[in-house]
Amino acid sequence: MIIDNKKKRNLDAILLGMTIAIFIIGMLAIYSATQARALSFRESYVFRQAIWFAIGTIFLFSSVRISYQKFIDASYILYGINVSLLVLVLVLGHVRLGAQRWFAIGNFAFQPSEFMKLSLILALSAYIGQRKDTMQSLASLIMPCVIMAIPFVLVLAQPDLGTALTLLPIFFSILLIGGARLKHLGWMTAIGILCAPFFWHCLRGYQKQRLMVFLNPNIDPLGAGYTIIQSKIAIGSGGLLGKGWLNGTQNQLNFTPERHTDFIFSVIGEEWGFFGSIALLLLYFMIIQRAFSIASQTSDRYGRCIATGIAVLLSTQVIVNISMTIGLMPVVGIPLPLVSYGGSSLLTTLVAVGLLLNVGMRRSTF
Amino acid sequence: MRDRALIAVVSALFILVGIGLFYNQILKHGYYFKLSRNNSIRIVPIDGPRGSIFDRTGKALVTNRMSFDVKLVYQEINDRRKLAGILRDILGMPSEKIVESLEKAGARPYAGVTIAEDIPKEKAFVLEEASCEVSGLHIETRSKRDYILGMFGSHLFGYLSAITEEELERLKDEGYRITDLVGRGGLEKYYERELKGVDGGTQIEVDSRGRQTRVLGVKEPEAGKDLQITIDASLQVAADKLLGDRKGAIIAMDPSNGEILAIASHPSFDPNIFVRPGTSRERLQLLNDKKGRPMSNKAISGIYPPGSVFKVVVASAALDTKKIDAHSSFFCSGTYNLGRASFDCWKAEGHGWQDVIRALMNSCNIFFYNTGRIVGPDSIESYAQRFGFGALTGIDLPDEVRGLVPGRAWKRAHRKIPWYEGDTLNYSIGQGYLLVTPIQVLNMIAVVANNGNLVRPHIVRRVGGEEMPLVKSRPVGLDGNVIKIVREGLFEVVNNDAGTGKRAKVKGVAVAGKTGTAQNPQGRTHAWFCGFAPFERAKICLVVLLEHGGKGGVEPAQIGQGFFEEAKRLGYL
Repeated sequence: MIIDNKKKRNLDAILLGMTIAIFIIGMLAIYSATQARALSFRESYVFRQAIWFAIGTIFLFSSVRISYQKFIDASYILYGINVSLLVLVLVLGHVRLGAQRWFAIGNFAFQPSEFMKLSLILALSAYIGQRKDTMQSLASLIMPCVIMAIPFVLVLAQPDLGTALTLLPIFFSILLIGGARLKHLGWMTAIGILCAPFFWHCLRGYQKQRLMVFLNPNIDPLGAGYTIIQSKIAIGSGGLLGKGWLNGTQNQLNFTPERHTDFIFSVIGEEWGFFGSIALLLLYFMIIQRAFSIASQTSDRYGRCIATGIAVLLSTQVIVNISMTIGLMPVVGIPLPLVSYGGSSLLTTLVAVGLLLNVGMRRSTF
Repeated sequence: MRDRALIAVVSALFILVGIGLFYNQILKHGYYFKLSRNNSIRIVPIDGPRGSIFDRTGKALVTNRMSFDVKLVYQEINDRRKLAGILRDILGMPSEKIVESLEKAGARPYAGVTIAEDIPKEKAFVLEEASCEVSGLHIETRSKRDYILGMFGSHLFGYLSAITEEELERLKDEGYRITDLVGRGGLEKYYERELKGVDGGTQIEVDSRGRQTRVLGVKEPEAGKDLQITIDASLQVAADKLLGDRKGAIIAMDPSNGEILAIASHPSFDPNIFVRPGTSRERLQLLNDKKGRPMSNKAISGIYPPGSVFKVVVASAALDTKKIDAHSSFFCSGTYNLGRASFDCWKAEGHGWQDVIRALMNSCNIFFYNTGRIVGPDSIESYAQRFGFGALTGIDLPDEVRGLVPGRAWKRAHRKIPWYEGDTLNYSIGQGYLLVTPIQVLNMIAVVANNGNLVRPHIVRRVGGEEMPLVKSRPVGLDGNVIKIVREGLFEVVNNDAGTGKRAKVKGVAVAGKTGTAQNPQGRTHAWFCGFAPFERAKICLVVLLEHGGKGGVEPAQIGQGFFEEAKRLGYL
């Protein structure tokens, strides 16, 4: 091992343990959500998710071994590759669920917009980390805006509104931590809000519909509104202790659509109840707290930006996903990290955890 | 400082989510639990009715009727004996069928399973009454396609059948569901997008016995667009009846604007079979009949050698290129020698001296052999294309085919042998490699009827009340004098006592036309008649094709007469 003992001691075993715990909860939920389909083991969702986890673990440990400074050095290249993949997926991608987001490699689908989240964090961190005092000027914000805008527009064009919107909090939090002036960030927000009607114009029919349905689920009780209503019934009927694993009637009787992917939380809420839901929420919260504390204990600007970006990325996904399953937010198609079925999302999250561990291990002690 | 603020914001949002969970899972638990325990939310689909089809006079040809299906929801059944009694008494279901139905329903206990489809209206009402006494029994009303003309016009309308998995995958985004029917063939297919309605539905809450307690939401269905077509139902029926049990096709069109008045193809089928339950054997029989091919529309998808009707094109080519004039004559002795081979006229003793008008009237092969050789295959090819052969007419029906207009280049490329003089002789009398569809022949005769203008045949006039744009006719570029001479020839065909098409004569209306008797490798000759009336200002052109129907001057000309008489009776002529 190249990693010396001191660093090994710094390897955050608790963070790693919580990650695995959440993944196991996810596997149980995926099993429960899909067992009715009676697929053979090799075709089952659980098996496929396990393969992705194995691949992801290899990636996680590889990304721990290489110093994150190397990632920063390669960040623009990674960013460039990822942007090209986004362009390629627009041109070639399979049309699925009305959107072009995927590459198919053999049996597995590959979604470059998921990896874009990390590439964006790295590229922004590389840019901001280098400029310590200059971030105060308005001119220094031009490059970060360009770095942000390119993938944002490409992902939006897929069209994947949810993923595009998750990029925004990452962007703002890294700028915030990087030292941009609040006044400037405020201006950017104002401009963004003013541009919103233009983006509304660019949205596809089904996305407009989802936003409208969020405002009033009754306008479409059969389509998008149906998912929200059924998901709320599932979670609400779970009560304090839940109906028990494999015993959720909403889940087993096939009432909730997309319940092994974006709506996996409805299965957990129904079968594990309020206790289970809160426990899962707490696990996430602890991971995120850990990420924030790594960020604040790191004296290196690059590392701090990376850790903050990842913390915000995970928080955004968890908050938006759970909120949409209980009708607090519109259905935007964001997976629940480590839990939702889906290889690209799982891989991205595991690499993100790897980067967190990486930054945590190499933080300079005062 | 800033990182603290960020953590605070994230923590606050987590707490908010936690509160949301508390609200849903603890405070509203009772409400949601009740909903889930009863599985009490159902979606009752309301079909968006498919658009109807009306003829040019506003008469309904294809509409929707109410159909009643019997459904069982197994989970709700509490009195099996009573239920079985009702099914037996009202529907006359034998007891083994009842047992089978209950088993079927048991396989999907929460969803309604259809156990009897399309039951008579009176029985449906009685059953509806009875279903109040016993739970688990439901009558579902659905709209079913109704083809009012039955066997008549079936190729024009097409039929419906269940969407395939592949199509569903492709059309999901357009609102298609697994139970949907899609148009196959005819207008049903061509205008699928316009005809299809958008399904709606009601989301209802039901109690534990499956009775509706309240409506959670309604999405209104949208009806598909109605089509008004240029067909006249009476002429359509006449065309179908005139064909009778012969194999072949009839098309009639208004040559001034391309409006199709009737289009029939036989053997035919009843499109209602595809929507009626329990007819799978008949359906398979229709779809697998390789010999009669009842599902194929011979009027636009059948290709045949045109035989002598093609002489219209050769005569026009010769006159227009000034290779012959109205007075050029050739002597017909009954045979024509080319090297060692000899080609015969259909009349063994010969027609004697023939000019172009007499040659058309007599359908003299020898005249056209001579003419064809002077004109040459290249000119024949290019004039055939001007008349619309070898290309789609663009009619608004699916599966139209191009046929084949051969030429030197085509033969070299596809047959790998050069063009021979014998090919030219065959070409001049519409035989050889040449293949045409009945609608192309109709288009050809319309050019003559319309003084040299080609129209685009079409069937739909209005979609959902909106007028379809009319494609303007365009001149094919023939000298006016040429058309005049050809028209004169076609007049003689029907009105001269020696003409081959004299059986098409109609009292009080001047009919012109051309017959054709096409040899083919499959057996007996195909018989053609194409014509138009009235001679001076044509209002109807007509093509009749009988597969293996013998001589064009006999049955097809007679059918032509019958059709023109019916059109006269209806006031078209």
